[in-house]
Amino acid sequence: MSKTIKIILASLAGVIAVAAIVWFFVLPSLAPYNFHGQVIQSNQAAPSIELDGPDGSTVRLSDYEGKVVVLYFGYTYCPDVCPITLSKLDRAMDIIGDKAEDVQVIMVSVDPERDTPEILEEYMAHFNPSFIGVTGDTNTIDRIATTYGVYYEAAEGSDATGYLVNHTATVMIVDKDGYLKLVLPFEGTAEEMAADLNHFLR
Amino acid sequence: MNSRKLIWGLGVVGALLVLGVMAFAIFEPIQVLPRIRLSPGYLLADQQGESFTSEDVRGDIVLYTFRYSGCEEACDGLDQTMLDVRDRFGEVDLGDTDFRLVTISFDPETDTTEVLTAEADKFGADGLQWRFATGEEQHLANVVKAGFRVWYEEQDDGSYAFDPTLILVDGWGVIRGEYEYQTLKSDSDKIIHHLDILAEEIRNATGAAGLAYEAAHLFLCYP
Repeated sequence: MSKTIKIILASLAGVIAVAAIVWFFVLPSLAPYNFHGQVIQSNQAAPSIELDGPDGSTVRLSDYEGKVVVLYFGYTYCPDVCPITLSKLDRAMDIIGDKAEDVQVIMVSVDPERDTPEILEEYMAHFNPSFIGVTGDTNTIDRIATTYGVYYEAAEGSDATGYLVNHTATVMIVDKDGYLKLVLPFEGTAEEMAADLNHFLR
Repeated sequence: MNSRKLIWGLGVVGALLVLGVMAFAIFEPIQVLPRIRLSPGYLLADQQGESFTSEDVRGDIVLYTFRYSGCEEACDGLDQTMLDVRDRFGEVDLGDTDFRLVTISFDPETDTTEVLTAEADKFGADGLQWRFATGEEQHLANVVKAGFRVWYEEQDDGSYAFDPTLILVDGWGVIRGEYEYQTLKSDSDKIIHHLDILAEEIRNATGAAGLAYEAAHLFLCYP
């Protein structure tokens, strides 16, 4: 084999090696993170929240600046969607481990008539002791739910459940600076939620 | 000698990558509409008296307007823009995504189901692709003023002062365009152009192309 061919082959091998490094290691780190929901890039802070929390406290979204807030709109009589979502969020907390200390899960009740702060406290603790539920008067709940893109309405239930409340079942993530950054669909898994939370906790 | 060549080679690759990123940011080969904020959730009643909620149009692209039936000359431009967009949206390749028009009345006392039906008939709105809707007064204030951030106020003579506005929302319920009606130039050209941009993003939402579109959001490649 002539020296020229050897040089050409060595150069080709070098180019392929560099291309492989760029393709497998450099490009993935440059590519934007692929979230599992809809990213919001608003330069406006998330709509304010001021509602009744556990033990007679007033819970404000601004109280959690420096933490990632996971917002969910549901209710304690919810037969399926809410417990499934809250269980997935509990599992996501397990996955992210110690970082869960920098996350606050808040469920805003869309059934303020039945969900008192006490009932919410007991209900949320059932899923995870760090989760909190908040409620308020009907107009305040309507304003907050509306501005977070959440619709809800009372629907017929059974004797056992009482009336039901149909509602938007998305999960929202507010970053440490108070900006609404991500809307996750109900179908998302605990692993996907944890991965997205990890991104905001970096 | 060899290590020097390797450093040079990596330097060239790095420089090419930086140049590529810069070119993407400067020349904007892909354009996207900004994700402005969440569109409000709502529970309204349409011109047929049927319940109409924000969940009913999830997955669809929606163009919203806000008015009241007593609005006359003040709404001419707004109405014409809606009609133009209704007649022209077929120019855009929307793929499997549906496009809807929704007109929300902020005067529920006057705009009963019968009045909304008459309004819809006037514009040839079929009740599916173009819906007229209204709701309870306080909820409307939460939806229109707090959610869509469109100002309106009842006047002493019963008329309304308001900002004539059109709002474009994607299937995820995210506001992607806000248009305050221009009296000198119709907004319909701009809205059709924006629909085209949005439809292209939806068609390319997955795989490598999806990453390129996310990069376009990152670099604020807005029209």
